[in-house]
Amino acid sequence: MLTRLIVYFAYFLKTSRRYQSAKLFFYNLLENPNSRLKSYFDIFMICLVMLSVFLLIYEVDNKLSKSEVLFERCVISLFIVEYLLRGWVYSDNHKIILEHYEKAKYLNVPFPLAKVAGIILGKKIQYVFSPLALIDLLAILPSYRPLRILRVFLIFRLFKLLRYFNSIKLFANVIASRRFELVTLGLFLGFLVFVATTGIYLFENPANGGQVKNLFDAFYWAIVTVATVGYGDITPQTPGGRIVAMALILIGLGVLSFLISIIVAAFNEEMDELRESSTYAELHRFDSFIIICGFGRVGQHIAAQLKKDRLHFVIIDNKEANVLKAKRMGYLVIHEDASKNGVIQNAGINNGATAVICTTGDDVINVYITLTSRHLNPDIRIISRANSQDNVKKLYQAGASNVIQPFEIAGMVVAEYIGQPVAFEAILGILREESHIIMETLCVHPGSFIEGMNLVGIGFEQRKLMLLGIISANPVHQKHKNSYPIKNQHFYFNPELHFVLRDGDLLVVMGREYAIDYFRDQIEKSRLKNGRKG
Amino acid sequence: MKRIAIFGYSVMSLEAMSRLNQEQCSIVFIGKDDAEAALVAEKGFETKVIDFRNDDALRSIGIGTDVDTLFCFYPRDFDNVFLTISARAIDKDITIVAIVDDPESAEKLLAAGANKIIDPYEICGRKTHEMLTKPDITNILDNTVFGRHDLKMAQIEIPKGSCLENTNTSELKLNERHNLILIGVVDRELGDQLHFAIREKEHCLDAGDVLVVMGPAREIKAFKKQVEQVENDEFKSD
Repeated sequence: MLTRLIVYFAYFLKTSRRYQSAKLFFYNLLENPNSRLKSYFDIFMICLVMLSVFLLIYEVDNKLSKSEVLFERCVISLFIVEYLLRGWVYSDNHKIILEHYEKAKYLNVPFPLAKVAGIILGKKIQYVFSPLALIDLLAILPSYRPLRILRVFLIFRLFKLLRYFNSIKLFANVIASRRFELVTLGLFLGFLVFVATTGIYLFENPANGGQVKNLFDAFYWAIVTVATVGYGDITPQTPGGRIVAMALILIGLGVLSFLISIIVAAFNEEMDELRESSTYAELHRFDSFIIICGFGRVGQHIAAQLKKDRLHFVIIDNKEANVLKAKRMGYLVIHEDASKNGVIQNAGINNGATAVICTTGDDVINVYITLTSRHLNPDIRIISRANSQDNVKKLYQAGASNVIQPFEIAGMVVAEYIGQPVAFEAILGILREESHIIMETLCVHPGSFIEGMNLVGIGFEQRKLMLLGIISANPVHQKHKNSYPIKNQHFYFNPELHFVLRDGDLLVVMGREYAIDYFRDQIEKSRLKNGRKG
Repeated sequence: MKRIAIFGYSVMSLEAMSRLNQEQCSIVFIGKDDAEAALVAEKGFETKVIDFRNDDALRSIGIGTDVDTLFCFYPRDFDNVFLTISARAIDKDITIVAIVDDPESAEKLLAAGANKIIDPYEICGRKTHEMLTKPDITNILDNTVFGRHDLKMAQIEIPKGSCLENTNTSELKLNERHNLILIGVVDRELGDQLHFAIREKEHCLDAGDVLVVMGPAREIKAFKKQVEQVENDEFKSD
């Protein structure tokens, strides 16, 4: 009967959407390292802990007022709630129950209630004894009146801060990764201190004319000396004591430098990982960015251009040399193989990335990355490089929005250069924005003053702009001549003066940058004004 | 008719050869062995096999006499530098276009006497960047200037005695009369640089000035013909 009730309850929890969403919410709030909620919560808790610690310090000399006591109680109850919630989120009881129930049902054996209860209890005990949970508990316990003796443990409230600082956690991880070396060194250090303590105690006894009165003094002296601090409050007076001191100082120096070198080496090794995680953290801060796969020659040029435009981007490359180069230039880099789903996903293909650029020198890899990216995000813009003509079609098939062929483009450029150098330099100059003349598209926004106007009314000549043509998908315009299909739109070259602009049309204009900007501002402003009237 | 010699077999040289207008220039491909030459000859180009390190061999293909332009498309930079230096020593006026693999070699090639350096990676990078930031413009240019449609950009030099001599740029009205857009003018009185036709300045056309126009290939051809027809009355009455 009891078993059935428990199993029924577990099924209920499993299907209850409210329960699931509540648990997910608290998971995001407390544990999920990628959630924004957690970072806000962490900051809030850091402030709270600091405040409560200040209150404790204040309490040493002063009596607390009623409101301050109330505040202290609130903080403590919040700590308790947090502690319990963490325990709740730590494991899923209903999952454990159901898993065992289904197994028992399948094997046709009775449901092992006691065993399951044991597992559940084991999980929760595991939580209680995890280091951070212990600190949490110790931060709460001393507030309980009968346990006032435990006031020392109030200091644990400060340790509680560990939970909320990610960098401290990383530091702890680095130290933990060198456990073996540190333990070995610790044992040696312990042995050294032990020998020095005994030695100095024997030589520097007050009976021998020294200052070391007891074993604790000796131990204190040994620690102060081995750490090369040397306060000088206790100094060896006898030749024997001095010899011990000299030996201890020399060996202490060696041990200390060894200790530092271990920690530094550990940090060096972990640095890549640290930097990678900081790369991801930085990426999450951007609203939009571009993913560049492959930091070869082409990738470098693209990155330089994007940097000039102040656009955000991240580079993924699995070649050590390329990664180092990118780091030196101060770009965000992920040292991974971009063809893996997880890598591109972590980089944020569904999380702010606006375009993926595949520029590795290997077409096989480019096709693979293109396919992966398209599979992960059907709407993203993918520009891919094809080194061989044969692969252009494959890249389009894999889902590339545009395919670029470096050698073909360069060949084309050479041919144009020979045929029509002036025309060609002109167009390159415009594209590279070397002169102040640029080519831009201006959108005819609905409600802006140019909507419904013909080209005479706009007066491009007075505006010192040159209209090259109009891009539009609007079928109204199709009676006009000089139309060139481009994808699913038409480009109307040199439109006649009675061409009437419709919303959504794109004007392709050429002119000085400020003339174009001024015209664009006018369009935008008129649109806002009319929008407000409407 | 221009004579162009192309050295080095690569995707790029093939692309350049196929893009060059065979009516306006004669192309000769210089291979380093018979296999390369045979591959190119299959596509219908004139080919020769010589050792580019030998000055006499270079002279034998016409460098210093009838070759106007030289393309150095060897994959290795030092081959290109060597060829550039040799060719420049033979002919002071030849136009040399070279590709560069390592950006650091660009200066060396220029010092060796190349007129134009092409960095395929840089061009590709720029192109990708343009596609990202100005997709519409890039699309139009790809479809027009870099030619898959018949919309083209062309430069037209005004010959002596042309009907356009002593005409002001604002009087041209190419967009109404010829369905062409005047992009810019090289006014030789003001130097060799291009002035964009955005109504900032009036230019009076003389012989030797260059018009850069954009429009359908047919109309460009017709307009060119008119401009180049010396003493043409038809245009004036137009």
